[in-house]
Amino acid sequence: MSMNDTALAEKASETIAGFTEEAFSALTQPGNPLLRGKREEAFAEYLRLPAPHAFDEEWRKTDPALFRFDTWSALPSAAAGSVQPTDWDSAFDVVVQVDGASVSIEDRTGILSAGRAYVASLFDAAEEHPDWVQQYLQGAALPASTDKFTALNGAFWNVGIFIHIPEGTKLEKGIFLRYRQRETGAVLIPRLVIVAESGSEATVVEHLESDDEVSMGVVSARELYVDQAARLKFLTLQEWGRGTYQIGNDMAVVQRDAQVDWITLNLGSQISKLKFGSDVAGPGSSAELDGIFCTDTDQHIDQTTLQIHSAPHTYSRLLYKGAVMDQGHSVYRGIIQAKPGAIKVDAYQTNNNLVLSNGAIADTIPGLLIDADDLKCSHGATIGNLDENQVFYLRARGIPEHEARKLLILGFYDEILDRIPYASIRDRVHELLVEKLDRVL
Amino acid sequence: MEDKLGTDSALIQEEYQYGFVTQVDEDRIPKGLNEETIRLISAKKGEPEWMTEWRLKAFRWWQKKSEPRWALLNYPEIDYQDICYYSAPKKMTDRFKNEDGEIDPEVRKTFERLGIPIDEQHRMEGVAVDAVFDSVSVATTHREMLKDMGIIFCSISEAIRDYPDLVRKYLGTVVPQTDNYFASLNSAVFTDGSFVFVPKGVRCPVELSTYFRINSQDTGQFERTLIIAEEGAYVSYLEGCTAPMRDTNQLHAAVVELIALDDAQIKYATIQNWYAGDAEGKGGIYNFVTKRGHCRGKRSKISWTQVEAGAAITWKYPSCILQGDHSVGEFYSVAVTNDRMQADTGTKMIHIGNHTRSTIVSKGISAGHSANTYRGLVQVLPDAVGCRNYSACDSMLVGATCTANTVPYIQAENSTAIIEHEATTSKISEDQLFYLRSRGIDEESAISLVVNGFCKEVFKQLPMEFAVEATKLLELKLEGSIG
Repeated sequence: MSMNDTALAEKASETIAGFTEEAFSALTQPGNPLLRGKREEAFAEYLRLPAPHAFDEEWRKTDPALFRFDTWSALPSAAAGSVQPTDWDSAFDVVVQVDGASVSIEDRTGILSAGRAYVASLFDAAEEHPDWVQQYLQGAALPASTDKFTALNGAFWNVGIFIHIPEGTKLEKGIFLRYRQRETGAVLIPRLVIVAESGSEATVVEHLESDDEVSMGVVSARELYVDQAARLKFLTLQEWGRGTYQIGNDMAVVQRDAQVDWITLNLGSQISKLKFGSDVAGPGSSAELDGIFCTDTDQHIDQTTLQIHSAPHTYSRLLYKGAVMDQGHSVYRGIIQAKPGAIKVDAYQTNNNLVLSNGAIADTIPGLLIDADDLKCSHGATIGNLDENQVFYLRARGIPEHEARKLLILGFYDEILDRIPYASIRDRVHELLVEKLDRVL
Repeated sequence: MEDKLGTDSALIQEEYQYGFVTQVDEDRIPKGLNEETIRLISAKKGEPEWMTEWRLKAFRWWQKKSEPRWALLNYPEIDYQDICYYSAPKKMTDRFKNEDGEIDPEVRKTFERLGIPIDEQHRMEGVAVDAVFDSVSVATTHREMLKDMGIIFCSISEAIRDYPDLVRKYLGTVVPQTDNYFASLNSAVFTDGSFVFVPKGVRCPVELSTYFRINSQDTGQFERTLIIAEEGAYVSYLEGCTAPMRDTNQLHAAVVELIALDDAQIKYATIQNWYAGDAEGKGGIYNFVTKRGHCRGKRSKISWTQVEAGAAITWKYPSCILQGDHSVGEFYSVAVTNDRMQADTGTKMIHIGNHTRSTIVSKGISAGHSANTYRGLVQVLPDAVGCRNYSACDSMLVGATCTANTVPYIQAENSTAIIEHEATTSKISEDQLFYLRSRGIDEESAISLVVNGFCKEVFKQLPMEFAVEATKLLELKLEGSIG
């Protein structure tokens, strides 16, 4: 036991390369005292929490040593933005560009000036609305004590965005966040806080991009607060380049009668280790989590979804679909947790995987952790290849084999693509999938 | 003794009717574990030098390792030096010198009370029994008849003495000494268990069974079972176990190895009813078991059926290594937990050969303040073509304070694999209970009916007598769990 304690103490004192005491003190620009305090709180947790190791259950399938923080300089000095607007922008009320660490906000339909939404960098938000930042940054959804990397993000975040939708407001188009990273050797540490006040409705879309040649790390953290009877749709299209390594921790807290719809489209990056989900924390609340993933070459995508039910009479649905090709490896870990007293819970989790080449690996670990009775929690998981009868059917109608396979795989994904509320994004995902499939089939 | 006890105690007696202690003169070695202990055990069993070395190798590895704690189980640290590793009824100690040695009448009575006749005269029809009392096997029935067919059914100690070549060839080839913490502890100190060898082409005409009884205080039971079915052979094996009620925890760390060659079939069924501790979680058996079957030959089949109804802690994952092409692995399990019991149990299906198939059906029932976890692994290796797995894991919750967890691991590395997994957790259906009650069936019986229906898929895998036994056991376990 004493040996274990020493080992634990040794582990705890480990810092992630580049994120040391010195780096933290260097961060001490005479900033806002509120943010300063939050960072210090997180830094203390960061020092206290043990660094993950490959023998930890959570990291067994993704060795944390693969994240070469020593090759990335800790704090990027990103050049000011020159991200070009795209034709997607017209579909949104507000467009936020994140280039390097600089944030620019475009109020396209005037909703910000009309006070129908508040979108600002965390630096500005801390000055303008300190009470909100105090309550929600590092709040109930994602306290710094969650894990080492969440704490690291809390202490060192270099891009912070705060979105607030006032009570009863319904945004017609939505808010678009575009992250475009071009600097090699940087670590992007974005912190996103979204607060949807009671009765509000909004859609927030994130698009993450970097070039394949850009070698970088990302340690992201997102907090979503959906207040009474509010409805938040959140969508992330992740098409990082192959030089990008991401660790992410996101969580949504959903209050009484509110709903979160969360779609994650994980297609890019070299290695991703993502953990996210929802806590339906008020009676009548619900969460719908959907996602696709697709790995080719030697990509590795490791996702953990959480469906936490901490209140009775709550509902959650989850559908994750993925395909692995070449030497790609996908890990899906799903957890449904019903806390004590969470009765009349209805939770379902589905994970379907296609293993399209020998050498590709699909891992699925769906889990149920139930501490209450009088509920219904289920999961289903499948791993398989395409149905050869369906391939034959299409071929018999004159469709060449690779086309037939492609059609079937796209059809497999369609169930989720149909849920994407923007045609432009749907088309882009389609395009990315076709690109991947054409290369392999 | 029952006469003088008050009503409360009588009730407990009813809940766990195997909780009595037999007074016998024991030959036991001092508590503690070191190389000397192992040499002593080995000497007591009159083992050859290679066996002693084999044990020591396991022990040296074990010393370097620490107890695994990944399971969803909560128990205090086990003091391995505070356990007696060998205890036998005194009159039995000469047994290996004289085949016709007397069985201690107290021991004989114990087994009779447990419903296990061990005399050849009173033996059960169609079932051959090997009875193990603490650290030794006391009797094995049906031996002559089996011997005529070339089937070897004896205790592992006898096998080491009489069939050393067979034991040497197969022992530790499925669960090596360095497999895991508890398996290596077992390899170092195992005392008795069964050995079954079914030669080529022979179909064993009777059910073989072993009954394990822990009697002595502060002892651990470490049995080792090895079953080999040669080409085309068939054997069905059953094990049952009970222990006295005591306030202290006792450790049981068993290893079971099954080997099936080409076209062979092994069915292995367990009805585990170790003492589970009282309602407050005091006492009970810690059951840390490694069971693994190796489908070594083509078209071989290994089928595990388990009814886990007892033990304070269960840590058990009967597994199949499907190496031979077209081999089949099956796992049928019912795990019932009540009061403060904790079970973390499941299976591993490792698909190595082409066109191997596996089926997993697991039913968990939790009541009281218990925790019941299914944990499983289905793995298809990169070169295994055309493999198929189907898993269904259902949990039923009886009462508001219990926990049910499902943690399946599924890993596919071959594009031709087809794997399906389903799991549900829900409360015992109010509608079904209401339906039964409105037909005049009282609540307890209604629950019992629903639960038995829930477990039917597993029970039908058991031989009839055992299925009846299992049904009764389940009823007993859930008695009073709904207020």
